[in-house]
Amino acid sequence: MSYLPWYVGGVGIAAVMVAHWLSLRRMMAVSGRYTALVNRLRFGPPKDEGQDLSAEELIRAMREATEAAFGASAMDLPEPESSRPPVSIRSVDRDNVPQTPGTHLLFLGALVVGGLLSALLGGGLGVTSSLHGELFARVAQGSPLGKAALLLGGGVLVGAGTRMAGGCTSGHGLCGVSRSQKGSLLSTLGFFGAGVAASLLLGRLL
Amino acid sequence: MKQKLGVVLVGLAFGVMLSRIGFSSWDEVHRMFTFADPRLVLTFGVAVVALTISWQVIARFSKPRWAPRPIHRGSLAGGVLFGAGWALCGACPSIALVQLGEGQLGALLTLAGIFLGNWLYSVVHERYFRWTMATCADT
Repeated sequence: MSYLPWYVGGVGIAAVMVAHWLSLRRMMAVSGRYTALVNRLRFGPPKDEGQDLSAEELIRAMREATEAAFGASAMDLPEPESSRPPVSIRSVDRDNVPQTPGTHLLFLGALVVGGLLSALLGGGLGVTSSLHGELFARVAQGSPLGKAALLLGGGVLVGAGTRMAGGCTSGHGLCGVSRSQKGSLLSTLGFFGAGVAASLLLGRLL
Repeated sequence: MKQKLGVVLVGLAFGVMLSRIGFSSWDEVHRMFTFADPRLVLTFGVAVVALTISWQVIARFSKPRWAPRPIHRGSLAGGVLFGAGWALCGACPSIALVQLGEGQLGALLTLAGIFLGNWLYSVVHERYFRWTMATCADT
Protein backbone atom coordinates (compact mmCIF):
# COMPACT_ATOMS: atom_id res chain seq x y z
CA MET A 1 0.00 0.00 0.00
CA SER A 2 1.18 3.49 -0.67
CA TYR A 3 1.16 6.38 1.75
CA LEU A 4 -0.86 9.57 1.42
CA PRO A 5 0.90 12.45 -0.36
CA TRP A 6 2.24 15.08 2.04
CA TYR A 7 -0.30 17.79 1.21
CA VAL A 8 -3.24 15.44 1.87
CA GLY A 9 -1.69 13.88 4.99
CA GLY A 10 -0.78 17.24 6.53
CA VAL A 11 -4.29 18.63 6.09
CA GLY A 12 -5.77 15.35 7.42
CA ILE A 13 -3.65 15.42 10.60
CA ALA A 14 -4.54 19.07 11.16
CA ALA A 15 -8.25 18.27 10.70
CA VAL A 16 -8.05 15.61 13.43
CA MET A 17 -6.37 18.09 15.82
CA VAL A 18 -9.09 20.68 15.14
CA ALA A 19 -11.80 18.03 15.66
CA HIS A 20 -10.15 17.17 19.00
CA TRP A 21 -10.40 20.78 20.10
CA LEU A 22 -13.95 21.27 18.84
CA SER A 23 -15.33 18.11 20.42
CA LEU A 24 -13.35 18.04 23.70
CA ARG A 25 -12.35 21.71 24.14
CA ARG A 26 -8.81 20.52 24.76
CA MET A 27 -5.70 20.56 22.65
CA MET A 28 -4.60 17.09 21.68
CA ALA A 29 -1.78 16.00 24.00
CA VAL A 30 -1.23 12.27 23.90
CA SER A 31 1.71 11.99 26.30
CA GLY A 32 -0.44 13.82 28.87
CA ARG A 33 -2.84 10.87 28.78
CA TYR A 34 0.04 8.50 29.64
CA THR A 35 1.05 10.85 32.46
CA ALA A 36 -2.51 10.94 33.81
CA LEU A 37 -2.70 7.13 33.77
CA VAL A 38 0.69 6.75 35.47
CA ASN A 39 -0.31 9.28 38.13
CA ARG A 40 -3.54 7.41 38.74
CA LEU A 41 -1.60 4.14 39.16
CA ARG A 42 0.92 5.78 41.49
CA PHE A 43 -1.39 7.86 43.62
CA GLY A 44 -4.81 6.21 43.32
CA PRO A 45 -8.07 8.03 42.69
CA PRO A 46 -8.25 11.72 43.66
CA LYS A 47 -9.59 12.11 47.19
CA ASP A 48 -12.45 14.42 46.35
CA GLU A 49 -13.82 12.15 43.64
CA GLY A 50 -17.57 11.77 43.78
CA GLN A 51 -18.19 15.39 44.78
CA ASP A 52 -19.62 16.43 41.48
CA LEU A 53 -20.76 19.99 42.24
CA SER A 54 -22.85 22.06 39.88
CA ALA A 55 -21.70 25.63 39.22
CA GLU A 56 -24.28 27.02 41.69
CA GLU A 57 -23.24 24.57 44.43
CA LEU A 58 -19.59 25.37 43.83
CA ILE A 59 -20.19 29.13 44.09
CA ARG A 60 -22.27 28.67 47.26
CA ALA A 61 -19.58 26.45 48.83
CA MET A 62 -16.86 28.96 47.98
CA ARG A 63 -18.97 31.81 49.39
CA GLU A 64 -19.54 29.91 52.63
CA ALA A 65 -15.86 29.03 52.96
CA THR A 66 -14.86 32.65 52.35
CA GLU A 67 -17.31 33.90 54.96
CA ALA A 68 -16.13 31.30 57.44
CA ALA A 69 -12.50 32.29 56.96
CA PHE A 70 -12.74 36.07 56.63
CA GLY A 71 -16.15 37.03 58.07
CA ALA A 72 -19.34 38.05 56.32
CA SER A 73 -17.95 41.46 55.32
CA ALA A 74 -15.49 39.76 53.02
CA MET A 75 -18.32 39.14 50.60
CA ASP A 76 -19.25 42.84 50.35
CA LEU A 77 -17.29 43.38 47.19
CA PRO A 78 -17.68 46.50 45.09
CA GLU A 79 -19.21 46.03 41.67
CA PRO A 80 -16.49 45.35 39.10
CA GLU A 81 -15.69 48.47 37.11
CA SER A 82 -15.08 46.61 33.91
CA SER A 83 -17.94 46.81 31.47
CA ARG A 84 -17.12 43.33 30.23
CA PRO A 85 -19.61 40.78 31.54
CA PRO A 86 -18.03 38.16 33.81
CA VAL A 87 -17.34 34.82 32.20
CA SER A 88 -19.99 32.33 33.16
CA ILE A 89 -18.52 29.28 34.87
CA ARG A 90 -21.16 27.15 33.31
CA SER A 91 -20.45 28.22 29.74
CA VAL A 92 -16.76 27.46 30.14
CA ASP A 93 -17.13 24.16 31.91
CA ARG A 94 -19.97 22.56 30.02
CA ASP A 95 -17.74 21.36 27.18
CA ASN A 96 -14.51 21.07 29.12
CA VAL A 97 -15.45 17.98 31.12
CA PRO A 98 -12.63 16.51 33.26
CA GLN A 99 -11.35 13.30 31.77
CA THR A 100 -11.25 10.08 33.77
CA PRO A 101 -8.73 7.25 33.37
CA GLY A 102 -11.49 5.47 31.41
CA THR A 103 -11.56 8.32 28.90
CA HIS A 104 -7.79 8.17 28.48
CA LEU A 105 -7.94 4.41 27.90
CA LEU A 106 -10.75 4.90 25.36
CA PHE A 107 -8.60 7.32 23.37
CA LEU A 108 -5.51 5.09 23.50
CA GLY A 109 -7.63 2.05 22.60
CA ALA A 110 -9.18 3.91 19.66
CA LEU A 111 -5.66 4.51 18.30
CA VAL A 112 -5.09 0.73 18.28
CA VAL A 113 -8.38 0.12 16.46
CA GLY A 114 -7.52 2.94 14.04
CA GLY A 115 -4.26 1.20 13.17
CA LEU A 116 -6.14 -2.08 12.73
CA LEU A 117 -8.74 -0.47 10.43
CA SER A 118 -6.04 1.16 8.35
CA ALA A 119 -4.19 -2.14 7.96
CA LEU A 120 -7.35 -4.06 7.02
CA LEU A 121 -8.44 -1.45 4.48
CA GLY A 122 -4.97 -1.02 3.05
CA GLY A 123 -3.99 -4.51 2.00
CA GLY A 124 -4.32 -6.73 5.02
CA LEU A 125 -2.94 -7.22 8.47
CA GLY A 126 0.67 -8.36 8.57
CA VAL A 127 1.16 -9.73 12.06
CA THR A 128 4.76 -9.82 13.24
CA SER A 129 6.31 -10.29 16.67
CA SER A 130 8.65 -7.40 15.88
CA LEU A 131 8.14 -4.34 13.64
CA HIS A 132 7.69 -4.17 9.88
CA GLY A 133 10.48 -2.74 7.78
CA GLU A 134 13.72 -3.95 6.31
CA LEU A 135 15.76 -1.00 7.60
CA PHE A 136 14.63 -1.84 11.15
CA ALA A 137 15.66 -5.48 10.69
CA ARG A 138 19.06 -4.43 9.33
CA VAL A 139 19.72 -1.92 12.11
CA ALA A 140 18.99 -4.61 14.69
CA GLN A 141 21.40 -6.89 12.79
CA GLY A 142 18.59 -9.44 12.55
CA SER A 143 19.02 -10.21 16.23
CA PRO A 144 15.81 -10.60 18.30
CA LEU A 145 17.67 -9.30 21.35
CA GLY A 146 18.84 -6.26 19.43
CA LYS A 147 15.29 -5.53 18.32
CA ALA A 148 13.96 -5.88 21.87
CA ALA A 149 16.67 -3.56 23.19
CA LEU A 150 15.87 -0.91 20.55
CA LEU A 151 12.14 -1.04 21.31
CA LEU A 152 12.26 -1.18 25.11
CA GLY A 153 15.21 1.22 25.48
CA GLY A 154 13.73 3.65 22.96
CA GLY A 155 10.36 3.41 24.68
CA VAL A 156 11.84 4.27 28.09
CA LEU A 157 13.54 7.35 26.60
CA VAL A 158 10.30 8.39 24.87
CA GLY A 159 8.31 8.01 28.11
CA ALA A 160 10.83 9.85 30.29
CA GLY A 161 11.55 12.57 27.72
CA THR A 162 7.93 13.39 26.93
CA ARG A 163 7.09 13.63 30.64
CA MET A 164 10.15 15.80 31.26
CA ALA A 165 9.35 18.09 28.33
CA GLY A 166 5.66 18.11 29.22
CA GLY A 167 4.50 17.06 25.77
CA CYS A 168 5.17 15.06 22.63
CA THR A 169 4.65 15.35 18.90
CA SER A 170 0.97 16.24 19.24
CA GLY A 171 0.99 18.64 22.20
CA HIS A 172 4.30 20.39 21.51
CA GLY A 173 5.20 19.56 17.90
CA LEU A 174 1.85 20.33 16.31
CA CYS A 175 -0.54 22.13 18.66
CA GLY A 176 2.17 24.10 20.50
CA VAL A 177 4.32 25.04 17.51
CA SER A 178 1.27 26.16 15.49
CA ARG A 179 0.46 28.56 18.35
CA SER A 180 4.12 29.76 18.48
CA GLN A 181 4.49 28.66 22.11
CA LYS A 182 8.13 29.11 23.17
CA GLY A 183 8.33 25.95 25.30
CA SER A 184 6.92 23.88 22.44
CA LEU A 185 9.30 25.41 19.89
CA LEU A 186 12.29 24.59 22.12
CA SER A 187 11.11 21.03 22.84
CA THR A 188 10.39 20.39 19.16
CA LEU A 189 13.82 21.69 18.21
CA GLY A 190 15.23 19.31 20.86
CA PHE A 191 13.38 16.19 19.77
CA PHE A 192 13.79 16.75 16.04
CA GLY A 193 17.49 17.56 16.41
CA ALA A 194 18.10 14.54 18.63
CA GLY A 195 16.06 12.34 16.27
CA VAL A 196 18.23 13.44 13.34
CA ALA A 197 21.48 12.94 15.27
CA ALA A 198 20.51 9.51 16.61
CA SER A 199 19.20 8.34 13.23
CA LEU A 200 22.37 9.40 11.44
CA LEU A 201 24.42 7.46 14.02
CA LEU A 202 22.12 4.44 13.71
CA GLY A 203 22.38 4.64 9.94
CA ARG A 204 26.06 3.78 10.22
CA LEU A 205 25.00 0.31 11.35
CA LEU A 206 23.25 -0.26 8.01
CA MET B 1 -21.46 10.20 26.82
CA LYS B 2 -20.96 12.92 24.25
CA GLN B 3 -17.39 13.27 25.51
CA LYS B 4 -16.75 9.53 25.19
CA LEU B 5 -18.13 9.43 21.65
CA GLY B 6 -15.89 12.36 20.69
CA VAL B 7 -12.83 10.70 22.22
CA VAL B 8 -13.45 7.46 20.32
CA LEU B 9 -14.16 9.09 16.95
CA VAL B 10 -11.16 11.44 17.16
CA GLY B 11 -8.90 8.61 18.34
CA LEU B 12 -10.05 6.35 15.49
CA ALA B 13 -9.54 9.05 12.87
CA PHE B 14 -6.12 9.92 14.30
CA GLY B 15 -5.05 6.26 14.30
CA VAL B 16 -6.11 5.72 10.68
CA MET B 17 -4.50 8.98 9.57
CA LEU B 18 -1.15 8.31 11.29
CA SER B 19 -1.05 4.88 9.70
CA ARG B 20 -1.95 6.18 6.22
CA ILE B 21 0.80 8.81 6.22
CA GLY B 22 3.34 6.14 7.16
CA PHE B 23 4.22 7.64 10.53
CA SER B 24 3.90 4.19 12.12
CA SER B 25 6.63 2.70 9.93
CA TRP B 26 10.07 2.52 11.53
CA ASP B 27 11.64 2.74 8.07
CA GLU B 28 9.67 5.86 7.08
CA VAL B 29 10.54 7.61 10.36
CA HIS B 30 14.22 6.74 9.82
CA ARG B 31 14.03 8.20 6.29
CA MET B 32 12.45 11.35 7.74
CA PHE B 33 15.19 11.85 10.35
CA THR B 34 18.00 11.14 7.87
CA PHE B 35 16.38 13.39 5.23
CA ALA B 36 16.41 10.45 2.81
CA ASP B 37 12.75 11.20 2.03
CA PRO B 38 11.22 14.66 2.65
CA ARG B 39 7.61 13.41 2.59
CA LEU B 40 7.00 13.19 6.34
CA VAL B 41 8.76 16.48 7.09
CA LEU B 42 6.57 18.13 4.45
CA THR B 43 3.48 16.46 5.95
CA PHE B 44 4.44 17.90 9.34
CA GLY B 45 4.97 21.34 7.82
CA VAL B 46 1.60 21.35 6.06
CA ALA B 47 -0.10 20.27 9.30
CA VAL B 48 1.53 23.13 11.24
CA VAL B 49 0.50 25.70 8.61
CA ALA B 50 -3.07 24.33 8.43
CA LEU B 51 -3.31 24.40 12.24
CA THR B 52 -1.96 27.95 12.50
CA ILE B 53 -4.71 29.11 10.15
CA SER B 54 -7.35 27.00 11.92
CA TRP B 55 -6.57 28.40 15.39
CA GLN B 56 -6.81 31.94 14.04
CA VAL B 57 -10.21 31.22 12.53
CA ILE B 58 -11.41 29.58 15.76
CA ALA B 59 -10.12 32.49 17.87
CA ARG B 60 -12.09 34.87 15.66
CA PHE B 61 -15.39 33.14 16.39
CA SER B 62 -14.94 32.16 20.03
CA LYS B 63 -12.80 32.90 23.05
CA PRO B 64 -10.81 29.71 23.41
CA ARG B 65 -8.77 29.19 26.58
CA TRP B 66 -5.60 27.56 25.35
CA ALA B 67 -3.00 26.52 27.89
CA PRO B 68 0.28 28.44 27.39
CA ARG B 69 3.41 26.35 26.84
CA PRO B 70 6.25 28.38 28.37
CA ILE B 71 9.89 27.29 28.42
CA HIS B 72 10.88 25.41 31.57
CA ARG B 73 14.04 23.58 32.59
CA GLY B 74 12.83 20.29 31.12
CA SER B 75 11.85 21.69 27.70
CA LEU B 76 15.10 21.10 25.85
CA ALA B 77 16.50 18.15 27.82
CA GLY B 78 13.18 16.30 27.72
CA GLY B 79 12.86 16.93 24.01
CA VAL B 80 16.37 15.57 23.39
CA LEU B 81 15.65 12.36 25.36
CA PHE B 82 12.37 11.92 23.51
CA GLY B 83 13.94 12.46 20.08
CA ALA B 84 16.76 9.99 20.74
CA GLY B 85 14.25 7.39 21.92
CA TRP B 86 11.98 8.00 18.94
CA ALA B 87 14.88 7.36 16.55
CA LEU B 88 15.58 4.03 18.27
CA CYS B 89 12.08 2.58 18.62
CA GLY B 90 10.45 4.45 15.73
CA ALA B 91 7.48 5.53 17.82
CA CYS B 92 6.16 8.61 19.54
CA PRO B 93 3.48 7.98 22.21
CA SER B 94 0.54 7.67 19.77
CA ILE B 95 2.47 5.59 17.29
CA ALA B 96 3.24 2.65 19.59
CA LEU B 97 -0.53 2.05 19.80
CA VAL B 98 -1.12 2.44 16.06
CA GLN B 99 1.69 -0.03 15.37
CA LEU B 100 0.07 -2.50 17.72
CA GLY B 101 -3.21 -2.24 15.79
CA GLU B 102 -1.38 -2.83 12.53
CA GLY B 103 -0.10 -6.14 13.84
CA GLN B 104 3.40 -4.91 14.75
CA LEU B 105 3.37 -6.67 18.09
CA GLY B 106 6.92 -5.58 18.95
CA ALA B 107 5.28 -2.28 19.86
CA LEU B 108 4.15 -3.95 23.09
CA LEU B 109 7.74 -3.56 24.27
CA THR B 110 7.76 0.09 23.18
CA LEU B 111 4.50 0.67 25.04
CA ALA B 112 5.85 -0.96 28.21
CA GLY B 113 8.96 1.22 27.86
CA ILE B 114 6.92 4.42 27.52
CA PHE B 115 4.92 3.69 30.68
CA LEU B 116 8.08 2.68 32.53
CA GLY B 117 9.98 5.80 31.41
CA ASN B 118 7.07 8.08 32.32
CA TRP B 119 6.88 6.47 35.76
CA LEU B 120 10.66 6.56 36.33
CA TYR B 121 10.92 10.21 35.34
CA SER B 122 8.08 11.20 37.65
CA VAL B 123 9.92 9.58 40.58
CA VAL B 124 13.25 11.16 39.61
CA HIS B 125 11.59 14.53 39.16
CA GLU B 126 10.04 14.48 42.62
CA ARG B 127 13.27 13.41 44.25
CA TYR B 128 15.84 15.57 42.47
CA PHE B 129 14.16 18.28 40.38
CA ARG B 130 11.60 20.65 41.70
CA TRP B 131 10.67 22.89 38.82
CA THR B 132 7.11 23.15 37.59
CA MET B 133 6.58 21.52 34.25
CA ALA B 134 3.43 23.08 32.77
CA THR B 135 2.64 19.69 31.32
CA CYS B 136 0.05 18.28 28.99
CA ALA B 137 -1.13 16.39 32.08
CA ASP B 138 -4.06 18.75 32.47
CA THR B 139 -6.00 16.53 30.07
